[in-house]
Amino acid sequence: MDAETAAKLAAGLGMGLATLGPGLGIGYMTGRTADAIARQPEASGDIRTAMIIGVALAEALALYAFVIAILLAIAG
Amino acid sequence: MAAEAEANKITEALHELSVQNIVTLPTVGPFDFSITNTVVYMWISAAIVFIFFFVVARRLKREPDRLQVTAESLMNFATGHLTGQIGEKGKKYYYIILTLFTYIFTMNIVGLIPKPIFMKPITPTANINVTFGLAFVVFCVTQFQGFKRHGARGYLGSWLTPPGVPKALAIPLNVVFFLVHLMGELFKPLSLAIRLFGNTIAGHLVILVMLGLVLKFSSYLIALPPLAFVVAMNGFEIFVAFIQAYIFSLLSVIYIESAIYAGH
Repeated sequence: MDAETAAKLAAGLGMGLATLGPGLGIGYMTGRTADAIARQPEASGDIRTAMIIGVALAEALALYAFVIAILLAIAG
Repeated sequence: MAAEAEANKITEALHELSVQNIVTLPTVGPFDFSITNTVVYMWISAAIVFIFFFVVARRLKREPDRLQVTAESLMNFATGHLTGQIGEKGKKYYYIILTLFTYIFTMNIVGLIPKPIFMKPITPTANINVTFGLAFVVFCVTQFQGFKRHGARGYLGSWLTPPGVPKALAIPLNVVFFLVHLMGELFKPLSLAIRLFGNTIAGHLVILVMLGLVLKFSSYLIALPPLAFVVAMNGFEIFVAFIQAYIFSLLSVIYIESAIYAGH
């Protein structure tokens, strides 16, 4: 396997692996948010804001990997 | 050979994302001052935001009409969390947060509208330079507020170990704490920029790859499912444009808040 093929394989594999963690995290957060809103519908605004912050922070991890994957696929 | 030509049809669609010079201006040092299609669309977005709020502000009424209700709900939505997060001090940042929200939202939406053939349809926020520029503004505001409110000594002091740590441990821990805080402060604008860039460009890449499939197979039977997917994806992109603008402004508020209340 030459360097270019290896870089492209790494980009694909890395992107797939990097979505695992944030995917689990976002799923857990959204599930708990639904729980919390069902328990206390009057606080849904605040709960949703807290969820969006958490989801955004978790999602950023996958996007770091996305940028690296693009760099690997184009420059590698 | 044939496989290569087919692969080119897919990458051909991706060329839609490339930056194109409209007016080529001289390069000064590392800075290229050329007016590209990204810059033109940024100007268009800024003009849309300016004209919208200018028109609304000119005809304010006690009984709001449709335009005014739109503007007011937009303003409330973009800045509703300001006083909730920062408290009364937050009112000062009303204008920058509102501007960031409306400008980013307009730029995201401008990228979804089909555009003339002589200027490639590009989303300004799908260019990492644009998002880093926006994040740099937030970074400057955050650090400026931190230094202004606490002084250089107080602000940088809040990065060190909290009081009550034994003297012998304090010096090595101070170095570690300072470096970790410095990294944290630098990563804030980085994550802001990459989040906006990644979300915008990922959606566009998915749409373009799907359209590339249509080009590649060039058959009506296979073209229909990707087209339906692209239509649905465009709807999702409007949602993403909105939520990303909201997240950008919300996180900006939180970062500014963390600088104002540093050390608490």
